[in-house]
Amino acid sequence: MPDLTPVYDLLSRLIPFECMQVRFMQRALLGLLLIAPMSAAMGVQVVNFRMAFFADAISHSAFTGVALGLILSIDPRWTMPAFGLLVGLGIMWTQRRSSLANDTVIGVFFSGVIAFGIAVVSRNKNVARNVQRFLYGDILTIGDSDIWAMMALFAALLAFQAYGYNRMLYLGLSPTLAEAHRVRVAVYQFLYAGLLSLVVIFSVWAVGVLLVTAMLIVPAAAGRNFARSAGAMFWLALVVGITSAVGGLLISAQDWARTATGATVILVAFAWFLLSAAVALARTKRGT
Amino acid sequence: MSQTNIATDALVTFRDVTVTLGGNTILDRVSASVPQGGCTAIVGPNGAGKTTLLLALLGKVPYRGQISMSGEQEKNRPRFGYVPQRLQIDQGLPITVLEFMVTGQQRMPLWFGVRRRHRDRAMDLLKSVRMDGLEHRRLGALSGGETQRVLLALALGQDPDLLILDEPAAGVDFQGEHLFCDLLENLRRECGFTQLMVSHDLGTVTHHATHVICLNREVAAEGPPREALTHENLAAIFGLHMGLADSRSLADGEGSCSAPCCTEEHDHA
Repeated sequence: MPDLTPVYDLLSRLIPFECMQVRFMQRALLGLLLIAPMSAAMGVQVVNFRMAFFADAISHSAFTGVALGLILSIDPRWTMPAFGLLVGLGIMWTQRRSSLANDTVIGVFFSGVIAFGIAVVSRNKNVARNVQRFLYGDILTIGDSDIWAMMALFAALLAFQAYGYNRMLYLGLSPTLAEAHRVRVAVYQFLYAGLLSLVVIFSVWAVGVLLVTAMLIVPAAAGRNFARSAGAMFWLALVVGITSAVGGLLISAQDWARTATGATVILVAFAWFLLSAAVALARTKRGT
Repeated sequence: MSQTNIATDALVTFRDVTVTLGGNTILDRVSASVPQGGCTAIVGPNGAGKTTLLLALLGKVPYRGQISMSGEQEKNRPRFGYVPQRLQIDQGLPITVLEFMVTGQQRMPLWFGVRRRHRDRAMDLLKSVRMDGLEHRRLGALSGGETQRVLLALALGQDPDLLILDEPAAGVDFQGEHLFCDLLENLRRECGFTQLMVSHDLGTVTHHATHVICLNREVAAEGPPREALTHENLAAIFGLHMGLADSRSLADGEGSCSAPCCTEEHDHA
């Protein structure tokens, strides 16, 4: 695997803070610079399609994925995305065939996955201790192999968004209309569900199960408040996502802060959201 | 109001189409045809299965029986344009009318803007439905009638052989519905597509349709408005006398109706 040292050195020069001179911080920054735009971009559709609950269900499947890996003696870095992908595609498959409301289908999967995870963990107390770090996330402990996996996902996601952003917007407005007008709705839905599942799982490493949905929806919601067009919403979500990630990492490393990185990233994004809500409110009052 | 000549061959033929959902029979052995080049209206009461028939045609609901389209054997399936009954638009979604018009046409993501050729095409389509000047308006800020016209422009952008409209003017006032149908009739003459629409308003149907399918789970009558919209057929599908449409007042090959606006027009004439 090629050495990433030149990339880390470049990052330390670009952001010349004292805290950025240590390797684990440089690695964490690179990880966040990959995860933040991915989650912000996918978040645009999560917000437009009202899929926050879907993302929540996938993030909780990470917990079960880790537990399964530890029980089966397989590296959780494999079982977690594999199980998340399985759950994501399972939900989409069921939604397309069931007459039940979408949130009911997700709720059923959500509880099934959580119950399964608890059942597995309850058999082994050591597993319970290991699972805790996935609840809160730990971006400072990721390795080069994780970075490479994120880069591969980043490339796949960039290709999907470049090719399918407009069509996703179309089917988000009305799948029936899009299908009648020759958009391959099923293909896009399954591809999106699969990619979203993987992004959620990777984001769990950064901010943990409890905050992963925020990583997806807060930048996109802020971008939506700021934007006046669908194209602008994408860029603004990216700006909010990336600045929150970098800002949150730097703040969390300061002596006066010393806070959990994932939580700090989300807090910065939340501050962006408050600002965007004020802008949207002012715009509504002006009637523009 | 004059009507276009209907080609004798059918673009779409329904044969014994049956739809059962959750144990309930929504459509029961429906056999009907949609003549090429004309305006076919499906009329019937609420729950008659009108929308279901359109969804079966679009492949959105499973059905037994056969739906065949001319040209299908030559692997040249007719192109559809679809105008849904009412699009539940997320009001807060920041998408402009222009962006909405190109989402199904332009491959380059909208974050890089709208390409000139797609912009020009969208502007022409918006102009054809008299919506030019509103391309930068947010989609969610449009009125019901404006939204329906944008949806019509979007459907026309498909260069459809068959334009399918599910109560296109639902929620639009009586005058608005007639204006919408006049617009459609002009476009049909210019573009040459076949039109299939569901409508509740018998006045609109008698004015604009060239072929009518009276539906109440099964087909009660089918044919030109003058033959299909008889008191007997209307009573059979609606279960009561319908005073709005009077088939005896329809001149040969020409639509008419006894609705107030039409009576006034005739008086003035």
